[in-house]
Amino acid sequence: MTGKFNLFFRVLKKRPDFMLGYIIVFLIIIIAIFAPLFAPFDPIKSDAKNYLKAPQWPYLMGTDATGMDVFSRVLYAPRVDLAIALLGTLLSAVLGVILGAIAGFYDGSGKVAGFGSAFIMRSADVVQAFPVFVFAIAVVAVLGQSIQSLVMAIAFVNAPIYLRLMRSQCLSIRRMRYVEAAYLAGTSDIKIILAHVIPNSIAPLLAQLSVNIGWAILLTSALSFIGAGVEAPTPEWGSMISMGFQNIVTGHWWPSIFPGLALAVTVLGFALVGSSIEILADPVRTRKLLLS
Amino acid sequence: MKRLYLFLGKRLIFVIPQLFGITLVSFLFLQLIPGDPAVLMAGPFATPSVLENLRAELGLDKSLFEQFLIYISNVLRGDLGNSWQTTRPVAEDLLQRFPATLELIVLSLLLALAIGIPLGRAGARLKKGVTRRTADYYGLFAGALPDFWLGLVFIYIFYTVLTIVPAPLGRIDFFIIPPPSVTGSLLIDSIIDLNFAAFKNAVGHLILPVVTLGLINAGPILKMTQATMERMLDEDFSKYGALCGLPEKVIARKAFRNSLPSVITIVSVLFGFLIGGAVLVEIVFSWGGAGQYAVNGVLNADFNPVLGFVLVSAVFSLVIYLIVDLLYFYIDPRTT
Repeated sequence: MTGKFNLFFRVLKKRPDFMLGYIIVFLIIIIAIFAPLFAPFDPIKSDAKNYLKAPQWPYLMGTDATGMDVFSRVLYAPRVDLAIALLGTLLSAVLGVILGAIAGFYDGSGKVAGFGSAFIMRSADVVQAFPVFVFAIAVVAVLGQSIQSLVMAIAFVNAPIYLRLMRSQCLSIRRMRYVEAAYLAGTSDIKIILAHVIPNSIAPLLAQLSVNIGWAILLTSALSFIGAGVEAPTPEWGSMISMGFQNIVTGHWWPSIFPGLALAVTVLGFALVGSSIEILADPVRTRKLLLS
Repeated sequence: MKRLYLFLGKRLIFVIPQLFGITLVSFLFLQLIPGDPAVLMAGPFATPSVLENLRAELGLDKSLFEQFLIYISNVLRGDLGNSWQTTRPVAEDLLQRFPATLELIVLSLLLALAIGIPLGRAGARLKKGVTRRTADYYGLFAGALPDFWLGLVFIYIFYTVLTIVPAPLGRIDFFIIPPPSVTGSLLIDSIIDLNFAAFKNAVGHLILPVVTLGLINAGPILKMTQATMERMLDEDFSKYGALCGLPEKVIARKAFRNSLPSVITIVSVLFGFLIGGAVLVEIVFSWGGAGQYAVNGVLNADFNPVLGFVLVSAVFSLVIYLIVDLLYFYIDPRTT
């Protein structure tokens, strides 16, 4: 384990931008948990006298058209955005890993299992034939507008990615000598999947997860921006951008620009963490980076 | 030529089950939407006998399977139902709005290619330097920026502060008489009509949304170009070329030629994504495109437009993928 940690720190030393990614993600999580301690105002209390105030003391990021403090709302927003993105991504990974393991393990086998495997793959094709964003909107439309629907939409949209990843891992691991040996020794299919296939697929899965969380945050805020996601006045970056949208043309830029900036920095943080895991998961690329 | 027909035949056989799947999923979505369509149409005060008649008229009393057959035959005849918001057939509405979205997407992708490919090529060829760093970080930053937000930033800078672009309200100013619709693309139509005032105005309206989408979508194109070309420069044929003393420029050109299939793939994926994904930028610029029409449908429980849009855009992506496969066929002689 110490060897792995050592490698991790050597990679971070070589790429300080990855370090920045980890710091951003860490800070965002801290902010999400301790938002009430940092926020100077109640995020959903509007002050009718102080609307559209430019950034000034005590309104660090100004106030929006209803007189709510933008800074406090920006700090509270990751609670909603991160929670939805994390839950949705985890759910899609669980769904995709299970289905992908089945599809990969029984690929090309006769009987019912082989048919089931083909059926899973064709269903994934159909889901992916729909434009991502439209599919997500349709899921929210069917399930009704709520946080649970957003989580489900993210899970459905992303599940085929994990499904394909897991399936290709499964296909290559299935042919390994030790797996064939385990099979001959009478190990059950489920045990082989749990003991060999999944542990060997963790690294690419983790890389995909952290990249996906960034996308999921973007998707959550995009759905909220068009009004199919989190509803105002709940503090959420996308819906805040949408609320301040009309004020941009009159020169009141702060209600929209600050939440968007927070959103972009967060997604960037997760993307950096994702690419660091991608490199760490691939020994060839890790060595190339360390030698460069 | 025979090879081409064989390839096309194989590919088209594959399209039919996909289309069927898409129609089935759209139909299931319609079934899953909460609420009785008869009640929605007749209103809450309708008597049971009125509802009964309406259900019979809509075919809701038939079995799910029969309903699906009716749905398919309607779709095949181009009947996607009516929208109660616009009180017009959905097919007509979509026909009017799709060109607006397509014009935006095509121009944005062209811009994205113009940025992504040269930067990606440079990034793959250089090992160090400012250009290499720009290429490395461009993809990361572009992937993190929400496009709807970037559009707002541009509106603030170029409309509110600098006032050098027209108001972000649609495709053309209301005081300009738009050219008669031939292709649906305002640029092409105004050239056909020799209406240069309309052309200039339409260009002004296009600039900001196209730059917004172009800058963001250049990211994935750049990443793909750079990654594939780096791999190609590592291949034996490149090393052999270098050993033979070919100039670096020639080797880079060959490596790029061999990276083309991946570049085309990513462009097709982006195209499919943008048909629905451009809706955010459409809303910011009040574009009045197809995506915006569908989103308004969702928000106002007007489901025929949503389904129509989903269906048409899924079919459209299938067509794009088909064209892409044909392009592969021409680029890579190994394709069968």
